[in-house]
Amino acid sequence: MKGERKRRVYRAPSSRQRLLGMLGRALPYVFLILFSLPIISMYLWLFFSSFSRKVMFGFIPQEWTLHNWRFLWSPIQMGGAAHLSIWKATGNTLLFAGVVMLIVVFTATLSGFALSRFRFRGREELMRLSILLHAFPGVTLLIATFYVLYYLKLLNSIWGVAIARAALEIPWSTWIIKGFFDNIPWDIEWSAYVDGCNRFQAWYKVILPLLRPGIAAIAIFSFLAGWNDFIYPYTFIFTKENQTLSMLIKALIGEFRFTDYGLLASVSLFYILPVLVFFFFTQKGLMRVTVGGMKGGR
Amino acid sequence: MASIKLEHLTKRFGKVVAVNDLNLEVRDGEFIALLGPSGCGKTTTLLMISGIYKPTEGNIYFDDVLVNEVAPKDRYVGLVFQSYALYPHMSVYNNIAFPLRLAKVPKKEIDRRVREVAKLTKIEDLLDRMPGQLSGGQQQRVALCRALVKEPEILLLDEPLSNLDARLRIETRAEIKRLQREVGITTILVTHDQVEAMTMAERVAVMHAGVLQQYGPPDELYDRPRNLFVASFIGDPPMNLVPVKFEKTDGTGRLVAQGFSLRLSEELTRLLSETGEEEFTLGIRPEDVALSQEETAEGFPGEVFLTEPLGGGTLVHFKFGETPFRVLAPKDLKIEIGDRFWIVPKQDKLHLFTADGLSVREKGHAEQG
Amino acid sequence: MKPRPWRGRRRVFRFPTVILFLAPFLILVIAFFFVPALLNIVLAFTNMDSSLEWNFVGLQNYRLLFSDPQARQIAINTLVYVLCTLAINVGFGLILGLLTTYFVPENAGLLFRAIWMLPRMTPSVVYALLWLWVLDPTEYGLLNMVAKALTGAKPTFWTMQHPMGVVILVNGMVGASFGMIIFSAAIKSISKDYIMAAQVDGASHLGIVRSIILPLLRWPLMFVTIWQTLSLLASYEYILLVTNGGPFFKSEVWSLYAYHEAFAHRFYGYGAAIAMILVIVALIVTMIMLRVFGFKRLMELMG
Repeated sequence: MKGERKRRVYRAPSSRQRLLGMLGRALPYVFLILFSLPIISMYLWLFFSSFSRKVMFGFIPQEWTLHNWRFLWSPIQMGGAAHLSIWKATGNTLLFAGVVMLIVVFTATLSGFALSRFRFRGREELMRLSILLHAFPGVTLLIATFYVLYYLKLLNSIWGVAIARAALEIPWSTWIIKGFFDNIPWDIEWSAYVDGCNRFQAWYKVILPLLRPGIAAIAIFSFLAGWNDFIYPYTFIFTKENQTLSMLIKALIGEFRFTDYGLLASVSLFYILPVLVFFFFTQKGLMRVTVGGMKGGR
Repeated sequence: MASIKLEHLTKRFGKVVAVNDLNLEVRDGEFIALLGPSGCGKTTTLLMISGIYKPTEGNIYFDDVLVNEVAPKDRYVGLVFQSYALYPHMSVYNNIAFPLRLAKVPKKEIDRRVREVAKLTKIEDLLDRMPGQLSGGQQQRVALCRALVKEPEILLLDEPLSNLDARLRIETRAEIKRLQREVGITTILVTHDQVEAMTMAERVAVMHAGVLQQYGPPDELYDRPRNLFVASFIGDPPMNLVPVKFEKTDGTGRLVAQGFSLRLSEELTRLLSETGEEEFTLGIRPEDVALSQEETAEGFPGEVFLTEPLGGGTLVHFKFGETPFRVLAPKDLKIEIGDRFWIVPKQDKLHLFTADGLSVREKGHAEQG
Repeated sequence: MKPRPWRGRRRVFRFPTVILFLAPFLILVIAFFFVPALLNIVLAFTNMDSSLEWNFVGLQNYRLLFSDPQARQIAINTLVYVLCTLAINVGFGLILGLLTTYFVPENAGLLFRAIWMLPRMTPSVVYALLWLWVLDPTEYGLLNMVAKALTGAKPTFWTMQHPMGVVILVNGMVGASFGMIIFSAAIKSISKDYIMAAQVDGASHLGIVRSIILPLLRWPLMFVTIWQTLSLLASYEYILLVTNGGPFFKSEVWSLYAYHEAFAHRFYGYGAAIAMILVIVALIVTMIMLRVFGFKRLMELMG
């Protein structure tokens, strides 16, 4: 095969080639920064305009002030009736999110356990259905849920609407907890039975403690889902007294949109504080939980 | 075919030093092996030569041209990965043709060269298969084809035989050697299997923890290991290593170990005295030891602890204290556990290593072979 | 010691205990998934309004719908919205995935992926507020300032003049992160050996992306496309908050139309009828997805 062939000459890369190489390596960063600029500027604006009286060039603050944060101690209003106190709204939101979280954790751990351990007819079908439910358009459920809540006399009640909202989180959270259960060996459970537990005791005393990371995950996610939710409170809660923070902000946007961005920004910053806290502490873990590992190419 | 020179090559990953101050040269058309246990830095060196890793320090020269900044595709190297890395979504033909297509070689030319190299490795009838349908040995040959089809100046092989079963391994060893000779390409083989390295390469570089231990032709490594590591790594069955103390009484040198004492030749006595040291490690290969049923001053007694019939001979195990001592005895010698023999090592085959692991005999040689 | 009564427990479990464990799940799922789903079908054939009484009116709602001049425009809007946002969600999601896993080292990749996750994790009202500032029609809105700096243009009333574009961008910025996560996981799971082999074979970065990475991403690409199609068909929250379907239905999509009819105008029956169309479309897309992927693989994919 070989025989006589022209030998290749090696040449070290010229300085022009090396320059191009360096530019090439920098290019992805340039793109990423360019693409991310809108997001970065949006959130910087949120932060800066909540603390300044005026903003120059969009978000460079001019005068540091806490004036925008007056909603923490005085009522918000611009002529007309005052808006709901921020603390009442926060309380409502905490109630809402809390109820969602408790219902989700309670239900998911019980049903996750059952789906993992029990063998009964219809198990496969139930799982299949859960996946299907995920694909259902939300607005259809919304309209009919209105009637269901009306029928159950839960309209306008914070915890009532929370129950409805929690139901949306049940399928995926059950799935995750089931996965955690699947990874706990039978032996541990059997020891509990041999030691004298009935099913509930085994579940509560032995298995649940082993599930802590999974429970923590679904608790946090469902709490945040409840905290961040807008549509369910907006659609099903009517009285001002029961407003959640998301509803309050929507109302504020309508009224203060062209007049006081500072106020809007600070109320919003107040609202997303728990989300930001969670966000910064769990970046890496978040990525792993949300994906569940997809195999490329297969 | 290019010559390769590695100068003070170092690669660090954070705090870990994978390759430490490596100096090596490979002649044009030569077949060398990088040999060492896992994690000794040999694959890292290979990846630096191919341009995938950039050296932390040091220089790489092909034909005396500095190529540190040259991209992999401009280095004209063929690389066969341990996992073969055949693109799973492409047929065998397309896998092999891939580098040529990238180089924008005309279609007819591609076809000719792909078939030519496939004939070389005898896989012409596998060209339409997908990698998933091939056996390990077949995949390896495809990987080899893909590396060779672009007519590289340098061929790099990363543990090419470790995924093959024993019989196939022996066959493929001979194949690769034949191929290399026919094509005449500068080749570096990376392996942890010393038999592989010793049978295939013209020179072997033994590495350990990122540091080059010794570099030379196989028989030099075998007969004149420069340090303890090389001595213990090369050779199967492995060299006996016994901690001993050097004593001189009336001009006669003796080595005293736990359980035996051995008289030394004049030459050895002189060598050891010159070092001025007392503690050494004695090294002697099982095949360089004779067994005698009669008492002799040149040997020492021992009781047979275990015998291992090897077919062509018997490996006889002795034990001195906690240290095992193995002797390769001829086939026809009848040996039972508990028998007593006189163990007579050949004096000129004795290796002695100082406390820091260096061979007394080979001291003073430069690192390169 | 009193002998304990031996109750033979079988491994296959008795019904009562299972039911107890599954009770909360079943109650919630039935009350807030099944019942509403069925109810919606029923409501679609009634004329329930703010009086909350239902009288069956047969196909009247659908006749109304098909003669509604807005409906056609809204259907087209929905098509345009879904297709364009899909392109961003999948295409841009892919670009982000590639940029943050293949082209830059892990730490930088993590940082940028975190930045792009922000919109998804922010409550919708706040995210909408941020966009309202960006799109502010005065000279202080970010987009107007950028336009002025680049081309000296006068301030534009973005939500009035380009409602569809606005809506697509707003949803695209949030939606891209879904694809980004899925694709970056898939790319990271590709064995490095293939990339290194391609480098030695002479491929440039783009060549590697085209010949090695993309072919191995076929399944994730299909999955994201179909999943996002379903999500987009059902999405209306951000549109509600930023343009509310305006001006004059120019950015109204089908799901938002159902919402408006039911909750703004209180024609629950009519709204349900509109929503039913969406359900049918979603079911068709889901069928396609199940057919293409097979159920077992879908379970694997989802974790």
